[in-house]
Amino acid sequence: MTQHLSKSSPDMRPSLPHFAGKEGNDVLGRVNQIATDRLTELAVKIDLEGYYPLDILKDLADAGLFSPFSNRANPDLAQAIQGVASVSRVCGSTGFLVWCHMACALYLAAAPEAALHDTLLRQHLAAEQFGGTALSNPIKAQAGIEKIALHATPVSGGYTVSGTLPWVSHIAPGQYCGAVASLNAHETERVLFLLRFDKPDMLFKCPHFSGMEGTSTWGIRLENHFIPDRDVIAAPAGALLQHIRIPFLLLQCGMAVGIIQGAIDSMRAVEGPLGHVNQYLEDRPDSVQAEVNDLLERVLKLAQIPKNPGKDYFLNILDAREQGSELALRAAQSAMLHQGARGYLSSAAPQRRMREAQFVAIVTPAIKHLRSEMAQLAKEELPS
Amino acid sequence: MTPSSPRLPEDLSVRTYICTICGWIYDEAKGDPDSGIAPGTRFEDIPDDWYCPLCGVTKADFELYSPSSPSAQQPILAPVITRSRTDSIVILGGGTAGWSVARKLRELDATVPITLVTACSGDIYTKPELSVALSRNLTHEKLRKETGLQAAARLNIRLMAETVAVGLDASRRSLRTTRGTLRYKSLVLAQGARPISLPSLPANMVWRINTLDAWLGLRAQIGSQSRRIVIVGAGLVGCELAEDAATAGHDVTLITQGPYPLESLLPSQAGMLLQQRLRQRGVTIITNTTVDIVKPSPAGKTIILSSGNKCDAEIVISTIGLETDLRLAHMADLQTKQGIIVDEATLRTSNPSIYALGDCISLNGQTCRYIAPIAAQADAIAHSLLGLPHAGYQHTSPPIRLKSRIMPLELRGTPDPRAEWDVVEATPFRLLMQQKQGGIITATLKA
Repeated sequence: MTQHLSKSSPDMRPSLPHFAGKEGNDVLGRVNQIATDRLTELAVKIDLEGYYPLDILKDLADAGLFSPFSNRANPDLAQAIQGVASVSRVCGSTGFLVWCHMACALYLAAAPEAALHDTLLRQHLAAEQFGGTALSNPIKAQAGIEKIALHATPVSGGYTVSGTLPWVSHIAPGQYCGAVASLNAHETERVLFLLRFDKPDMLFKCPHFSGMEGTSTWGIRLENHFIPDRDVIAAPAGALLQHIRIPFLLLQCGMAVGIIQGAIDSMRAVEGPLGHVNQYLEDRPDSVQAEVNDLLERVLKLAQIPKNPGKDYFLNILDAREQGSELALRAAQSAMLHQGARGYLSSAAPQRRMREAQFVAIVTPAIKHLRSEMAQLAKEELPS
Repeated sequence: MTPSSPRLPEDLSVRTYICTICGWIYDEAKGDPDSGIAPGTRFEDIPDDWYCPLCGVTKADFELYSPSSPSAQQPILAPVITRSRTDSIVILGGGTAGWSVARKLRELDATVPITLVTACSGDIYTKPELSVALSRNLTHEKLRKETGLQAAARLNIRLMAETVAVGLDASRRSLRTTRGTLRYKSLVLAQGARPISLPSLPANMVWRINTLDAWLGLRAQIGSQSRRIVIVGAGLVGCELAEDAATAGHDVTLITQGPYPLESLLPSQAGMLLQQRLRQRGVTIITNTTVDIVKPSPAGKTIILSSGNKCDAEIVISTIGLETDLRLAHMADLQTKQGIIVDEATLRTSNPSIYALGDCISLNGQTCRYIAPIAAQADAIAHSLLGLPHAGYQHTSPPIRLKSRIMPLELRGTPDPRAEWDVVEATPFRLLMQQKQGGIITATLKA
């Protein structure tokens, strides 16, 4: 270890310029303020000690972070993406929770029942109630990567659902998530529903992860669990799932952008003392900044979803999501190299951010899934 | 995990089971001692309330696992991309244009690193042969001159086959692909053109013959029987395919929106003659008609025409034309007009480190999708990439030939579709026509 090592990482209190928001947009300003003032201190506790920051989510909700989704038909995705980025910039775990919460808001907004799309959505957006998304498995199942894990049987007044899902985040007893089960014997039709954790023994503990422990990640085990019709969001759900994938992926790009920006903050924080040697590194802050600016610009453009999104548009989304992962990995690695030993402290942001970047790169859809999907999408369709 | 020695490794009946959710493997020889499952416990003897020790799913989520060697699962199609490498020259496209540039570069420089990225196998074949291959009984082996891997080895280039280019960042000179991101010093776009797709001619029912793979698929579907084939679009490829299929013994109908085949190229006298010869060959020709929709039917497909008539077919082929896929060009802010705009002498695009040639380009506002100019275009690009002197590419309209036994046809010069044609000679054996502007012959048609 070097003599320069100090407990107070220079990264701990980065100055946070806003992501380019609308003129007079003070929501992002308030979100940034909460992130800087409160989340910076809590990031290690959340990441390693498993602190589940529902109080921060409440504050962020009060600041208007989830307000874009109060427009059910046409949420302001650009603002939502920048909100995810602002939070992820300081704490990737909380950024991920924000993403989970937003994804769940999309499901609630699409529900036919007013109890979901009105009452619960309002409470959800105000962070009076919390819930996430269990769509990793069905999305991979759709792409033929794994088998669908939950199976539904129609019964009087709803469905019974059985199966096991590991590793679902932002859920806990008393909370809920959007989930998908196969509906028929061929497992091709899907039902999307709100799964409420209102009974004992629905959740089981996950193994210890290398970080992001405060994301309240559980396994779900259902045995003939009854889902009433009023909690069914869509059946069949194919069209809705395809429609929701676009904001789902774009909001994930927000996580990548935030983590990259955080990595740049870490590089800049040591420019004074270490710039004379850091000049020999690749991926210097200015060049990564230019790259992430371009990426954010592309993502915000894509957030204006065309009426009939075609193959090219979807390729652009997958490409941006993949590029976000690649750049997050590269930026986090570079931030670590920029900070050297001080970035290697267990309390330091750069080593935490490397795990956060790895998370962005492996969470569904992972880099390999994105590439595989793009290869499939680009293939010429021939008659069979 | 408690260390345990695998019981009887020679016991071939020991099986392994994989968790379909997280990939954890239960090995019967090792058991799961942490969960109280002794080494040697058969999977079926594990209690039903046992859970995957990694992700917690139940026994029902496991399936029998038989590991196979990695090489048996996946052929190695492309080398792994390492981050630090900057390839000096990257060629995008493994058709005639892409390989022509690779070949020319290697001729001029034995060592310059070249990477060729292609969404297909990169196998080398002559595309124009596809529209005459049925009657000549050409097989995959005869059509494919060399595999992509063989050509890459011969030219000492890095081939990234089955690799799709998905993003282009011109300011950082990086090409994102489905196998990772490549950095380049110069990029050559040789992407070709893709068949125009119309909702009325859905891709899951209608063939488009623009690649060897598509032709092989069509060939396999035709099989050894005589088929009812409908071809939509009577340009060069449509006419050639119609004659080819009819000569091979199929029942062929050719649908054209014009008054006669090759309407956009030929004066009516020549077009009507071609129509007559095709009919003599057994081709049914429906003129002045477009297709409203293709629907599945018990006999195969039913084609509903704009005239209200319909016809049935076992096989439908669309030859309505090609278009350039401009997605990457737009992403890189390259100037485009139908194709990627290039400088006529240097084949350079509006970005100085990106060149383009072949079917994807636009020269003086026009595409030129023929094989003939590609060699000279590749020569100019290769010289420029290597910094060697070159007089510059000079574009001339290539002679257009209809590969036909019933009416071989050649069109030279720059035919103007609106201008009059003079008949120079018209006998049952020969037709010679000319277009003139200010007394100078600008186009000649021989048939």
